[in-house]
Amino acid sequence: METALLLNTSMILTLTIILTPILLPLLLKNPQNSPANLTRTVKTAFLTSLVPMTLFMHSGMESIISTWEWKFIMNFKIPISLKMDQYSMMFFPIALFVTWSILQFASWYMASEPYITKFFQYLLMFLIAMLTLTIANNLFLLFIGWEGVGIMSFLLIGWWQGRAEANTAALQAVLYNRIGDIGIILSMAWLASSTNTWEVQQTFTSTQTPMLPLLGLILAAAGKSAQFGLHPWLPAAMEGPTPVSALLHSSTMVVAGIFLLIRTHPMLSNNQTALTMCLCLGSLSTLFAATCAITQNDIKKIIAFSTSSQLGLMMVTIGLNLPQLAFLHISTHAFFKAMLFLCSGSIIHNLNGEQDIRKMGGLQKMLPTTTSCLTIGNLALMGTPFLAGFYSKDLIIESMNTSYLNTWALLLTLLATSFTATYTLRMTLLVQTNFTRMATATPMNENNKAITNPITRLALGSIMAGLLITSFITPTKTPPMTMPTLTKTAAITMTILGIILALELSNMAHTLTQPKQTTFTNFSSLLGFFNPLLHRLTSTNLLNNGQKIASHLIDLSWYKKMGPEGIANLQLMATKTSTTLHSGLIKAYLSSFALSILIILLVY
Amino acid sequence: RDKYRYFACLLRERFDKNKDVKDMVKATELLKAGEEEFWANQHPQPYIFPDSPGGTAYERYECYKIPEWCLDFWHPSEKAMYPDYFAKREQWKKLQQESWEKELKQLEEETPADGPRTEALPPARKEGHLPPLWWQYVTRPREIPM
Repeated sequence: METALLLNTSMILTLTIILTPILLPLLLKNPQNSPANLTRTVKTAFLTSLVPMTLFMHSGMESIISTWEWKFIMNFKIPISLKMDQYSMMFFPIALFVTWSILQFASWYMASEPYITKFFQYLLMFLIAMLTLTIANNLFLLFIGWEGVGIMSFLLIGWWQGRAEANTAALQAVLYNRIGDIGIILSMAWLASSTNTWEVQQTFTSTQTPMLPLLGLILAAAGKSAQFGLHPWLPAAMEGPTPVSALLHSSTMVVAGIFLLIRTHPMLSNNQTALTMCLCLGSLSTLFAATCAITQNDIKKIIAFSTSSQLGLMMVTIGLNLPQLAFLHISTHAFFKAMLFLCSGSIIHNLNGEQDIRKMGGLQKMLPTTTSCLTIGNLALMGTPFLAGFYSKDLIIESMNTSYLNTWALLLTLLATSFTATYTLRMTLLVQTNFTRMATATPMNENNKAITNPITRLALGSIMAGLLITSFITPTKTPPMTMPTLTKTAAITMTILGIILALELSNMAHTLTQPKQTTFTNFSSLLGFFNPLLHRLTSTNLLNNGQKIASHLIDLSWYKKMGPEGIANLQLMATKTSTTLHSGLIKAYLSSFALSILIILLVY
Repeated sequence: RDKYRYFACLLRERFDKNKDVKDMVKATELLKAGEEEFWANQHPQPYIFPDSPGGTAYERYECYKIPEWCLDFWHPSEKAMYPDYFAKREQWKKLQQESWEKELKQLEEETPADGPRTEALPPARKEGHLPPLWWQYVTRPREIPM
């Protein structure tokens, strides 16, 4: 009895604590917010959110609260209903932990910014929107959070407004997210019209759910989570400062799409076509992103593509009808991806703004903490046994191998796993080992606690999180226990293959072979030509068609050719032929006239 | 870096073999072939320094560069925080107003009839004159503000 009260109170208290730095300066008279203040707030909120999580782990308690309905139509209820189930209660501490580390890091990274408090407030507003999305029970509140994270992502990516490419990237993010929003609004409309509710509980139908709302949801997830067709915004979003990339585009915003699919999973599980679509889309985006990541030269872009690839993997898990496993992957991925971004931020700042790995090397001696955490993060990403990635990634691949689905998706995902190993190893090797290639006099140190503490905390999280989460949460579907040895070790084999590939390539690079420019390398480096193709082709087509319709069709055809000029042309032809007929030889006519009259007279 | 030297020497040797070709047609053909080879062998992601156009930090601080006429809009209490600067600023502004006519006259005389050839501004020619449009140059914001 009391535990329910404690649960609800602590969750709402967490949300209120987060809202405080935004609301207090408006209500009181002294706007005295500082980065340290905000970091402390998030830390407090994290500690508060541990309470419901432990309650859940201990007793499996879930709750749903419904307050204050928005009464605008008689029989359609939109309450503010908060669902504190396994997913939201696990997500809150993880998101708050990651955000706390990122805010602490950002107080060092953005120390030279004049508007640093505004930056922190933007990050906090983003966090609020994300938590609203997570805790929402009905699609309306989820949509509020959805739009909120989209807007904050725009503001944060374009933080340095003077930079033209940052503005383009922010616009790209918003537009691609908008296309995804069409999907979610479509499914909300269908739900409202056919089931008269937007609550997630009531979306379960025992018969097969029709395709339309599911298509909408998959479109929404593809837009928000950068699946294959709507992916260019994610690498472009690296124009924002590194804390932004770490928070938004590694752990929280990009999982919003997957989270939507997890929440509406009962609807999805009936329709096998939709699940297969998720599967194929996910495997395609995994492979594509991994292929692009192999030949990138900017650290942040490599990590962005790796995020994209892991998102494809999460989509594959949803396609396998395993939402809990997808959520597990979200949680573990948040830890090591945020850590990778923070490590890369530390490296970038220490190298005075240098982001290209071709200009780094030999950092192991100079930044030991950062590089060891980078290695841990990369190992976790690759799915090394018993680090965090293993628990989720290996399980996904095992389940894929033992379930009844199409081989193509399986092949793509396995290939992508080996590519993951390749590019992470490439990044690690080029960044850390060998002789250094940077400018010779760069002062660098890691003495600041604001750097080392967050990174080591997240490293600890990456190592422990997988173990902790799987030990305490009982899975709803029994994972496959028995399978032939080959399938069990499939993931590790692919990873080792990838490592061997990377080592081979680096050996080749050390001997004096000139790199060939084959089509494959071009494809991979230029992101598969997708960006220029899509952006330029659609706009040129649109403009060309517009010009054709406006000038050629209307002006030229209808007004000229069909109307006066066309008729005039026809007439011209007829008159020309008839004038040649009419040749005007009078004598011949008169003589033929006379001849014919004579003949008639003679006959008669 | 040593690999680069190796390939550069190879390329240099190829150039030197064809150095003495006097026939103009053949020389242009060789040049065209060389340029095509360059285009085909270009790096797909050439390395760009962070601060150069196209780099990651280019124009990053553009939004913090405020023009200098904003200083005129400061409240007197704020201006009182930097009294010596603002005193000198009045003198500089008077100087600018005096020399403006002379700068314009110099620019008008020195540009050729159909418009200026380059973007470079001429230096001051006479004693006691200031170079034309010096105010824009002197009051430009810092490269990395703050």
